[in-house]
Amino acid sequence: MKSKVIILGLIFCYVLVVVPFSSYLKNRPVMLKLGYVPAGKVLRAIVGDQRYLTAEIYIVRVLFYFGELFGINRERVAVTPEYFNMYRTLENAVLLDPYNTDAYYFSQAAFTWELGRVREVNSMLKHGMKYRTWDYQLPFFVGFNSAFFLNDYQAAAEYMKRAAELSGNPLFTNLAARYFYEAGKTDFGIAFLETMAKSAHDRKLKRIYEVRIEALRAERFLAGAVDRFEKERGRMPESLRELVTSNLIEKIPLDPYGGRFYLDRSGKVRSTSKFAFRE
Amino acid sequence: MRLFLALTSVTLRGILRDRMLRAILGTVLLLILLVPVFSMFSMRQVQELAITITLSAISFFLLVMSLLLGSSSVWRDIERRYTSSILTLPVSRRAYILGKFSGIAIFIVCCGLFLFLVSVPVIMFAASSYPSDVPVHWLNIALAIGADILKYLLVAALALLFSTISTSFFLPFFATIAVYLAGSASQEVFEYVSGQFGTELQPASVAVIKGVYYILPNFSAFNLKVPAIYGLSHSPGGLALTTLYGVIYVVILLVLAIKIFSRRQLP
Repeated sequence: MKSKVIILGLIFCYVLVVVPFSSYLKNRPVMLKLGYVPAGKVLRAIVGDQRYLTAEIYIVRVLFYFGELFGINRERVAVTPEYFNMYRTLENAVLLDPYNTDAYYFSQAAFTWELGRVREVNSMLKHGMKYRTWDYQLPFFVGFNSAFFLNDYQAAAEYMKRAAELSGNPLFTNLAARYFYEAGKTDFGIAFLETMAKSAHDRKLKRIYEVRIEALRAERFLAGAVDRFEKERGRMPESLRELVTSNLIEKIPLDPYGGRFYLDRSGKVRSTSKFAFRE
Repeated sequence: MRLFLALTSVTLRGILRDRMLRAILGTVLLLILLVPVFSMFSMRQVQELAITITLSAISFFLLVMSLLLGSSSVWRDIERRYTSSILTLPVSRRAYILGKFSGIAIFIVCCGLFLFLVSVPVIMFAASSYPSDVPVHWLNIALAIGADILKYLLVAALALLFSTISTSFFLPFFATIAVYLAGSASQEVFEYVSGQFGTELQPASVAVIKGVYYILPNFSAFNLKVPAIYGLSHSPGGLALTTLYGVIYVVILLVLAIKIFSRRQLP
């Protein structure tokens, strides 16, 4: 009887502790969640032949963390992602396994648009190109980043050419130039994201692309309405609200990143979220 | 020869009777069967992750087996006075050490082959769910497991050597782990000191590091996982050299173990 009471008492104590404990674990700071990652060079020496598995574990941790954060942000809870820590973890992962395509793919998906770390991502992708010599996607990403973010069309053409040679698909050769001249920057971005979303297996990543496409489409929609307004009235609208009052559009679309669209001084459509999840 | 075969057979049967080893094998088998589920965590390289996890699980299992079996071989027999009774028979100490090692080696080789056969349908299943642009290179996977087997034969020989000078489990077990870790990292350290960093060090320190590099067994040479996972090509010359290196090193360790055991006073 006495031992039963003790066991029941212990179970009760456990239940009392486990709820706040799991809540603490769930909400602890990002640095603790992603954990400390030893420098890749040191880790390579320690983990020996298990380094490929270690690299994938790091990548999956980053992916899970980002996916979880993405879920939180969809409910409009403001949490600033620890991009630097994520990037560092992935950087170490590619030091452990320079062939791992998940790291390059995720860096391209998360750090270019969200963080604007295009040069760092390109440097990581170029590191991967030294190893994944058969993979056309890496030069394709570098080419896209060079054209879209850095406006370096010469480098873009060079990398798209390399992607074309590796894939046997001549489309890449003139992709950058064609989209820029015929469709414009936003359409180029949408086309790129649609290609990426189509080939993404992971649901979370697919969703990230879809949100970005949604944001760019809303931006393109508003920019088109601003152009029409300017043509009809011979002046720029004072605000996006004027597009609604002049019956050019029914309503201002929502920014999927939780921000609000506005017109900046130069007449360009922008969002307060800058198309990134942040506080 | 007959007695050597009998010793090998006794060692092998002793290993197969060990319930703890069976439990470890069961756990690794379960892990390999769960590979298709784990590999779904990858975004773009499901097949590659399936091969990575399978090879890692096999490598880890063989490491544990070679460490445990090698470390608990000779000293335990001495402690139980089993060697004293065996050596009253017309069995040389050399045949005793070689019989012990052969039993362990046969077990490691059979486990490696068995796990390879189990992993084939598992990898095929994972690869069929999300086909990769890189085809599965079965020969490379077999070579990676073969290199792992040779590596862990080397670890077992090392543990057996330490076991011949020890009177407890701790020295062979921890000394083998220490040499294994150092031998896995030695290539990285060697390349590091051979580069720019080496010019900033004292020449004597560089010479010592390089000397240690040549003495320690180079375990990183047996790591053929990248060609197996990403379908890269092998250098036949490199493979032959690695095999030769492994075999010669094992033979050296066994000769040393026989020498030490021959001089050891038994209770």
